[in-house]
Amino acid sequence: MLKLSSINELKELQSVLFDASDESIPCIVIPTGTCGQASGANDLIRVAKREILAQGLTKKLRLRITGCHGFCQMEPSVLVEPRRVFYPRIGLKEMERIVEAAAKDKVLTDILFVDQETGKTIERQDDIPFFSKQVRRLLSWNEKVDPIRIYDYIKAGGYSLLSKVLAKGSAVWVVEEVRRSGLRGRGGGGFPTGLKWELLAKQTSNGGKFLVCNADEGDPGAYMDRSVLEGNPHIIIEGMIIGAFGTGATEGIVYVRNEYPIAIRHLNIAIKQARELGLLDEDILGTGFSFDVKPVKGAGAFVCGEETALIRSIEGKVGEPRQRPPFPIQKGIDGKPTAINNVETWANIPLIFRIGAEEFAKIGTENNSGTKIFSLVGKIKNTGLVEVPMGTTIKEIVYDIGGGPVGKAKIKAVQTGGPSGGCIPANMFDLPVDYESLADAGSIMGSGGMIVMDENTCMVDIARYFMNFLKDESCGKCFTCRKGTQRMYEILDDISRGEGTPGHLDLLKELAEVVKDTTMCGLGQTASNPVLSTLNYFIDEYRRHVIDKKCDAFVCKELVGAPCQAGCPLDTEVWRYVALIEKGKYEEAYKVIRDANPFPSVCARVCGRKCETRCNLGTSGGQAIAIRAMKRFITDRVDPSVYKPTRTVPRGKDVHRIAVVGAGPAGLSAAHYLSLLGYKVTLIEAADEPGGMLISCIPAYRLPQDVTRKEIKLLLDENITLRSGTALGRDITLDELFKDGFEAVFLAIGADKSWGLSLEGEDTQGVYPSMQFLKAFNLRGEELAKGRVCIVGGGNSAVDAARVAIRQKKVTSVTLLYRRTSQEMPAYAEEVEAALAEGIRLQTLVSPTSIRYIKAAEAEGVRVETFVQPVKIDARNGRVADIKCVRNKLGDVDSSGRRRPVPIPGTEFTIALDTLIVAIGERPDSDCLASMGLELDKGGRLRVDAKTLCTNRKGVFAGGDLVTGPNTVVNAIAAGRKAARVIDRYICGKELIEPPKVQLPSVFIEPAVVGDEELEDAERVEPATLDAESRKKNFAEVERQLSVEQATREARRCLRCDLEFTQRSENEDAECAGVEEKSV
Amino acid sequence: MITLKINGLDVSVEKGSTLLEAARFLGFPIPTLCYMDGLSPYGACRLCVVEIGEGAKAKLVSSCTYPSEEGLKVRTASSRVLRARRMILELLLASCPQSKIIQDLAAAHGIRRQRFKQEYEDCILCGLCVRMCEEQMMGKAIGFRGRGENRSIGTPFDIKSDVCRLCGGCMYVCPACQLRCTYNEPEKAICGACANLSPPCVEKEQFNDMMCYMDPCVACEIKKDK
Repeated sequence: MLKLSSINELKELQSVLFDASDESIPCIVIPTGTCGQASGANDLIRVAKREILAQGLTKKLRLRITGCHGFCQMEPSVLVEPRRVFYPRIGLKEMERIVEAAAKDKVLTDILFVDQETGKTIERQDDIPFFSKQVRRLLSWNEKVDPIRIYDYIKAGGYSLLSKVLAKGSAVWVVEEVRRSGLRGRGGGGFPTGLKWELLAKQTSNGGKFLVCNADEGDPGAYMDRSVLEGNPHIIIEGMIIGAFGTGATEGIVYVRNEYPIAIRHLNIAIKQARELGLLDEDILGTGFSFDVKPVKGAGAFVCGEETALIRSIEGKVGEPRQRPPFPIQKGIDGKPTAINNVETWANIPLIFRIGAEEFAKIGTENNSGTKIFSLVGKIKNTGLVEVPMGTTIKEIVYDIGGGPVGKAKIKAVQTGGPSGGCIPANMFDLPVDYESLADAGSIMGSGGMIVMDENTCMVDIARYFMNFLKDESCGKCFTCRKGTQRMYEILDDISRGEGTPGHLDLLKELAEVVKDTTMCGLGQTASNPVLSTLNYFIDEYRRHVIDKKCDAFVCKELVGAPCQAGCPLDTEVWRYVALIEKGKYEEAYKVIRDANPFPSVCARVCGRKCETRCNLGTSGGQAIAIRAMKRFITDRVDPSVYKPTRTVPRGKDVHRIAVVGAGPAGLSAAHYLSLLGYKVTLIEAADEPGGMLISCIPAYRLPQDVTRKEIKLLLDENITLRSGTALGRDITLDELFKDGFEAVFLAIGADKSWGLSLEGEDTQGVYPSMQFLKAFNLRGEELAKGRVCIVGGGNSAVDAARVAIRQKKVTSVTLLYRRTSQEMPAYAEEVEAALAEGIRLQTLVSPTSIRYIKAAEAEGVRVETFVQPVKIDARNGRVADIKCVRNKLGDVDSSGRRRPVPIPGTEFTIALDTLIVAIGERPDSDCLASMGLELDKGGRLRVDAKTLCTNRKGVFAGGDLVTGPNTVVNAIAAGRKAARVIDRYICGKELIEPPKVQLPSVFIEPAVVGDEELEDAERVEPATLDAESRKKNFAEVERQLSVEQATREARRCLRCDLEFTQRSENEDAECAGVEEKSV
Repeated sequence: MITLKINGLDVSVEKGSTLLEAARFLGFPIPTLCYMDGLSPYGACRLCVVEIGEGAKAKLVSSCTYPSEEGLKVRTASSRVLRARRMILELLLASCPQSKIIQDLAAAHGIRRQRFKQEYEDCILCGLCVRMCEEQMMGKAIGFRGRGENRSIGTPFDIKSDVCRLCGGCMYVCPACQLRCTYNEPEKAICGACANLSPPCVEKEQFNDMMCYMDPCVACEIKKDK
């Protein structure tokens, strides 16, 4: 390389380079940052080169190897210029095709990026939401430059700003420009860079001054500095030379982690090339100004990112911080004045001089100018590097750029700033990301790590994780930092193992505050942030761990045990009966199920299956065990009489009488367990037969009524008196019950009143609340639907109504209208699929705006009358004819973490229909309870103490849907069982709250020997179903039971998470065998 | 001379003196563990923290390392300072309960319990011995190794250092009586002074029951119990 000896020569070189290249020739750009190389980009380069040579395309095609472009999730990717076509996640075969297509200037439409939200393919990189919503001032350079070719950088305008600065020749102006740009340190502290330089320029030193680029990026999950250094090292060097010119510094040091080999290699090459061209070292570009940069490799300690520790590390000493003052700007490396800036800060310097300080300051907010790169990682769709203006809200970053959550789990929090940062909860996502706002929220900007967490992340565990990191990475000099982080970890570990006490939380907070207060360096002062911010925003989660001994995210092992069991509201030992099925011990399996659940056959059909969503096989990326199908297998096969419940003999002579109001699953369970405890129970039910929703609303094709009746019959023993046809409020009051000698009352009247649409004309004939529609059919066999049927809603009752409707004789078509996307439907996914299979049309993103009538006279025909409730039709004299709808689009994210549906003006359309079923939710029919002195909330739900089920009236307890709103059967059963225990404690005069206990698997069952081959081939068994055509006509049960062979095969797939707790160690086989015998 | 305000009093102190020196000179007591006249200040134990500045900018700094600055406002016993000191002492008691010095300090600050899991460590890593060896004895026989919870003090490779003159200075300054007790394993002892200097019971195997001249030493007793 020829050394440039003047500014003009650099300009000449630049124009020569520019003329020599033909930008119209297509160029294949392959990003090969660490992320790209790890996912195979090097192979792509090999294939691309081979193909270009083999096809003789060297004149028709250019190839550029660059650093990371930012969309790490989609690596290995390829960008084809000049059309800027983006191909994500491509393989070697695709690479060959891309070379061929690029040479002909064609686009391969089949492997383009697909937007998951809209399902559309996007051709240009700049149109992809991930890119289009960023402001890529720094990262866009990574696409233009091959980091090991200085000519690339010069051609793209690099080092021209250095020549501009040198030509101007005013150091004061340089510092002033930086000061006016408002640039603040991107390493996290946010100290104004201009001010720092001004201070350095003022320092006098006869031994020279230092500039340091801090590339000791050590936060878990943060890698923006690495990408900049890997992809564009010259921009750092140029920034440092400009800085040196402004501040009079003589030596530059890039302190880079040894763990960044590519960054170090590229930096070394860049420095060498810059020296050869005369851009570094003595007499830069013939101006007489001298400055040199040398790299220093860090020794791998996190604390060396702290500036005083970094200085000691550069000096060759142990990387330990020291107290400031004196500040490094006064006494730095070898006692000489030193200014330390982060990689990103240096990268911003050339930009300031390119566009001018004013222009630079225009982006961002006041006091927070410019852009900031964040590394967005965690439970989010699009992970990668994003560059946004300062002051962008977290919401925009997480949802608009990041694409929101990966699965159905809601996003709970974002952790910013690495181990020293804090967690910001989802309800604060409107927070603009700038230094002050983050600090006020208890976090820090840090170097820009942003870890997204969803409901499956335990905040205690997160705090524990970071504290574990910090206790190892604390230098250990300050007693409070060393011992404080150790003790905080110890407490957090205790809490996560269920050994925490409320006193621990106070102690933790006190300790965290003192550590923050008393430690010397930045590491210790911010080390408490993960603890303090989670304690501040997620104290309830801590309390759950400490008081209830529950980890709702299913992370803390010692509190969870086997996830299937922990997920079950009834605490069913799922792992145990699955293991017993594998052994062929079906009766024992039945006993295990029945021991926890008085409605095994019902739950085998309609359970919400929390166990399956929590199954470790499923959460680790495989298919969850088909637990419900196996429960069905057992309950269909085993006679219920094998189970003999344990009864407590009535205490003494006085028999206590309890009233249970409502004979749904909650009421029946409560009555059953109270009876087992020796109480005389009177079960009061408004309908003619017990069963509640099980009988009245769940359609027979899901749950045959005779199954329910049989199971209920088994529960009603001699201790239980059933008074059906008696409604609370109408026939009887609470006061009367107490007067009759009942000592406690359990209310479980459910939630069977449909919410209305709040639209005019909802009381028109032909419009039914779903509950009314379902009950009419289930209890009385009335078919209310006819002709074209529309159902509004997306929950289980909406789908039930749709599927019942399509089975009714006079129905011609059924359409389900839901206002969000089908992915967000609260109904069980398989129910939606089944409904679609039966020919139900699904229109999502639609919400009805008005219902139109036509004159009754026109419509009064025989068919109509069968559907009509006479009282109303006379009064209204009208009936529903069509429904006007408007299309929705997804808008902002609401508090539930889902995108709010927003109507699109002008997209109104009309659906002609004959029946409209409103199924947008249910509420308890609880108006009568208020008059009996009970407290209700806005939704008509009864307020109770969640732990004791106590209402505001003494002796009155409540549970089930009445308290929770519409919920699953299994939750109602759990509430009933809990009520029985609480009422027993109440009668006995004990403390109502039961001491929490963690249910860890305790019975050892020999695991099956499963070969690797079997494991590999194993697939989830799905129970057979009646085919859609034959089931449409009738109410026969759709789902069939598993065969013995199927059930055994499925049981063998189980990971047996229980063994971790029951099997002490592998060489204790003999002992374990003994345990098994005892258990059997 | 530098004028500053300590606990509301306007005082003048010599330029270059630390806040700790200034405060002690004026009679304001500040407890310390890792500070000793004649050794360079280190700022590790954090017990000597004082509050400087005002309002939102008020912060705690270690007075032994912070230089007196013109116009600085210093509070040596504000509630924030005392809270921090009490927590530090509680942490010290939890780790090193056998130290007489720590016990006395804790008692003086009204600490009656500690809420962490009890440990019996024999070193608080205050670094007095390291500085004593290097700065006063010109030895440099011992130093720090490792970081975080693995940080410890010792000779290189845990073998007796050639530059050690068995002066015993390290033991003399130790507030937690670590070094006087490592004589059980004379090979590993940093200086092993007591084992080597006072030979009355050398013939006893492993020196198990040897009487140390620093007797009584609680750390030894606890070690023996384990």
